[in-house]
Amino acid sequence: MCRGGDCGTVVSVQTSTTPAVHATQLSKVYGSGSSSDVKVIALDDVTVDFPRERFTAIMGPSGSGKSTLLHCLAGLDKPTSGQVYVGGTETSSLSDARLTALRRDRVGFVFQAFNLLPTLTAWENIVLPLDLAGRRPDQAFADRIIDGIGLRHRLGHKPSQLSGGQQQRVACARALITKPEVVFADEPTGALDSKSSADVLGFLRRSVDELGQTVVMVTHEPTAAAYADRVLFFADGRVVGELTEPTADRVLDRMKDLEKVDA
Amino acid sequence: MLRAMLRDLRAHKGRIAMTLIAITLGVAFVVTTWVISDSAAETLRGRDIRGDVAVTVRTVGGGPELTPAERDRLARIPGVASASGVAFGYAGLVGQDGKLTSARPTLAGTGWDSSDRFALVAGRTPAPGEVALHERQAREAGRETGDRTQILLSDGRSVDAVVAGLFTYRPFAETPPSVAFGDPGVLGDRFTRVELVARPGADIDAIAAAARDLVDPALRTVATGADLAAQAQARADDSAQSSRESLLGFAAVALLAGMFVIANTFSMLVTQRTRQLALLRAIGATRRQVRNAVLVEAGVLGWIASTLGVALGIGLGLLGLATTGSDDTNITLSVSPTSILVGYATGVPVTMIAAYASARRAAGVAPVAALRTDGSFAPRSLVARSILGGVAVAAGVVAIVSTLRNDLSTTERIVAMGGGIAVWLGVLFLAPVLANAVLRPVGRVMSRRGGPATRLGVRNSVRDSRRTAATTSALMVGLALVCAFATLGSSITSMLSSSIQATVPAEATVVESPVDNVALGTDVLDKARSVPGVTNASADRYMFVKVTHNGSTSQTTMSAIEPGGVIRPEVVAGTGDVRRGAVVGENQAAMIGARLGDEVTLVLDPTTSVTTTIVGLHKGMEGRPLFYVDLAVMPAKLKATTVTSVYATGPDAAAVRAGIEAAFLDRPDVVVTDRDGVIKEATEGFQLLLSLMYALFGAAIIIAAFGVVNTLALSVMERTREIGVLRAVGASRPLIRRAIRVESVVICAYGGLLGILVGIGFGAVMNHAMMGQSLWEFSVPYEIIGAALIGMVVVGVLAALWPARRASRTDILAAIGTT
Ligand SMILES: Nc1ncnc2c1ncn2[C@@H]1O[C@H](COP(=O)(O)OP(=O)(O)OP(=O)(O)O)[C@@H](O)[C@H]1O
Ligand SMILES: [Mg+2]
Repeated sequence: MCRGGDCGTVVSVQTSTTPAVHATQLSKVYGSGSSSDVKVIALDDVTVDFPRERFTAIMGPSGSGKSTLLHCLAGLDKPTSGQVYVGGTETSSLSDARLTALRRDRVGFVFQAFNLLPTLTAWENIVLPLDLAGRRPDQAFADRIIDGIGLRHRLGHKPSQLSGGQQQRVACARALITKPEVVFADEPTGALDSKSSADVLGFLRRSVDELGQTVVMVTHEPTAAAYADRVLFFADGRVVGELTEPTADRVLDRMKDLEKVDA
Repeated sequence: MLRAMLRDLRAHKGRIAMTLIAITLGVAFVVTTWVISDSAAETLRGRDIRGDVAVTVRTVGGGPELTPAERDRLARIPGVASASGVAFGYAGLVGQDGKLTSARPTLAGTGWDSSDRFALVAGRTPAPGEVALHERQAREAGRETGDRTQILLSDGRSVDAVVAGLFTYRPFAETPPSVAFGDPGVLGDRFTRVELVARPGADIDAIAAAARDLVDPALRTVATGADLAAQAQARADDSAQSSRESLLGFAAVALLAGMFVIANTFSMLVTQRTRQLALLRAIGATRRQVRNAVLVEAGVLGWIASTLGVALGIGLGLLGLATTGSDDTNITLSVSPTSILVGYATGVPVTMIAAYASARRAAGVAPVAALRTDGSFAPRSLVARSILGGVAVAAGVVAIVSTLRNDLSTTERIVAMGGGIAVWLGVLFLAPVLANAVLRPVGRVMSRRGGPATRLGVRNSVRDSRRTAATTSALMVGLALVCAFATLGSSITSMLSSSIQATVPAEATVVESPVDNVALGTDVLDKARSVPGVTNASADRYMFVKVTHNGSTSQTTMSAIEPGGVIRPEVVAGTGDVRRGAVVGENQAAMIGARLGDEVTLVLDPTTSVTTTIVGLHKGMEGRPLFYVDLAVMPAKLKATTVTSVYATGPDAAAVRAGIEAAFLDRPDVVVTDRDGVIKEATEGFQLLLSLMYALFGAAIIIAAFGVVNTLALSVMERTREIGVLRAVGASRPLIRRAIRVESVVICAYGGLLGILVGIGFGAVMNHAMMGQSLWEFSVPYEIIGAALIGMVVVGVLAALWPARRASRTDILAAIGTT
């Protein structure tokens, strides 16, 4: 049994050429097997790479399978078939205990809202994954992150005393504190105004540029996607397009093109 | 509107199951009590009525007995078919161990007759030279029909008789005798009463009137059989009622504990539905509609749970009667409509009262709450509640402090008790604030020391101090009661022992009767004195008497002792020299308002009283003689016949003991023991009573445990999303389980410790107010407290099992999906 969070760290082979996250022939089918349920194919044979130290945005219409992809990549959900490699470790065959350790040590996650535990202060929320692993935070690194989110004076506050944007920045800090292979963010700015969005996105951008992080973010907003190095377009459970060096306008144009194809 | 709420109720079966269990258990306890006392009353009713006697003539207490001549005169009254004399006399049934059985032998013998007094259950009518035994005493003595048994008679004679049969007995007012002699002459030719049987059609009132004319009304009482039967019935009902009342006290405690659980559950159910309620308000439901909907919901739950509780209670009651009632043949099982009604009349209102606060809160939900994302109430202020609690505690403390003296009058004792109860209630009100004040710092320390599971668990336990307090209240009440009575019990036990230790020398050999508070034979003291090696032998003459002081009379106890004997009261004021007057227990003196130098009259029996002056106060207590007087002031006729214990000392204690044991070797009416034996005997019955109480209060603790499970399970549901996030960022399942377990143990430990502290305090106050001892002179029941400490941790761990499992199985994606 895996107690105290000290499960064996997942062994991995890392070279600078392996992508941070790699998925091959990933499929996720809902409603299969049971009775009269209509099958929903959320992911349809997706093969995709997320290179290290890059910021990737994923866009696509509602219901296209973006969240499902993120969940499968982050070890929150099991794909129906296909493989996921996080930093060279194949995750779909891992036990629950090992997956838990993987999420804790090597993956960061930012949800759209309700990311934080209400009983813990901002600081305690940030270091929660380290705490769960029984490790002490690297103070210098923690300082850099905290300066990055600009909330040093609010560290002792409970989430209920922070604004939505501040809460999301705390959530981002928590995702980064373990220096993970990759940070996944599912519409992290979906519930924020433009100023707060800019704060959060700016922070994610700098974490890639200054800390060498790998970030994968799902978003509906072209302006948000413009912060990324690369945009993947998703529809009906597949990757249908890609754009590098995106600007808001180019993303918008591309989205219009895709809609036309759809129609 | 209502339909929506009820459908909602149905949709949350899991959430309400625990509430149902809490109400069901409480109701079941009440109904069980009712069924048992009903059946007890019904059993007595069915058995006790005698229809065969028209009129009885009996002696007035202590007066001369009836003679055969009187009987014959009564038999000649017109309309009387027959008159029989009924005698009761000393008969000590000796058991297989060679000692008397526990029944008081004084009036335990009677002559067999063919009246309805006896109902044979085994064997046959005893012939002269044989006896029949009451079946209960026969069982205790280990005798069956056909056995030979020794029976002691008054003045030390004894007979060996064959047991011809076993009987059950229908008394008018007397304690059922143990032995019925086939030869009525054994008890002499004087009667305690004469029973007249009427000819068919005779006028019973006329017979009674004629009998009254024949006898001296100062010495004889005439009553008709119908009157006596009615009185016997009234006594049976009374005793059923009083046992019902004491049992209902425990049921009330269980219900109170249940109420906390129910109130807490409703409050949580309402909190969880804030959004739904707000939506209802937003689309136009009035406050009243929302409140009534919650109340109706409570009513429905109360109704269902009461039905279950009534069924369970009847089952438990009948089961209890069937198993424990086995020493009485054919118990009448009685389930009266009242017992069922009582079940509903407690279950439904208790649930609705408990739900009322939640209903009001639900009605107060602002419609905008539907739009808020966190969907919870703003925390309610604890100020009013804390002020109320603070005032109650302060008032209680003042009441206790102002009655700190030892010599309290009855009113002051009531004030002290009231103070104790006020503090207790105050602490209940203060529980949330105390939870904040105590658990936060403790939590901080534990967080620093412990791992993440501890930290999370402790944090969650102080998250909503109102809820924590409500959850623990039931546990607190249950444990406080247990600890209060344990403290009282252990204090009384230790005071009894120290009181006995102070009055009786350790090396004294003690001679007593095997039967509690029964006088020894008149020869025992002299026989002990004549044992070689005994230099001082003296006696206690423990009697239940009345005391009159300043015109008011009350019950008390006394003992006449030899001045300079072995027994020395533990004097705290005045003198211990009984030659100068009475030495009285200091709290007894305070109770009757008497001081040193006051004159009191002790009424020994209707014809004997002793007037004396109080010359000393001793440290005695209930259970030991309260008035010590000089043997010399006792009337001669009582001097020899009232000896209850003989204490013998000599230069060689072992030789004294051996000598006395040898002297009384074959005496069934005497046991030889020492001071420790006396202490053991004095405290034993008390311990038994206490264990029974613990068992009954246990019901409250079981309900409290359900309350903890309930709260935890609901909290876990409330925190689904949070647990999902925790799992997503890497908390393992065991860690989640541990966190919930820590939370549960912290909650239980808080309630438990509070309960133990309040219990010890209240026990000390009870000891002070009821036993008249100093407030500080209580003794701590370490064993019970140890058991309570272990118990509360066990309850904490067990209560967490199911909620922790649930929490650790949370589906991460589903949890994150919920808002
Ligand atoms: N638990 C489930 N059971 C059945 N179908 C599901 C389940 N979860 C998701 N789906 C379906 O899978 C498809 C992809 O869902 P997903 O949540 O990945 O979409 P998305 O791209 O994130 O959409 P959005 O932009 O609205 O968040 C949808 O059609 C959805 O209905
Ligand atoms: Mg989505």
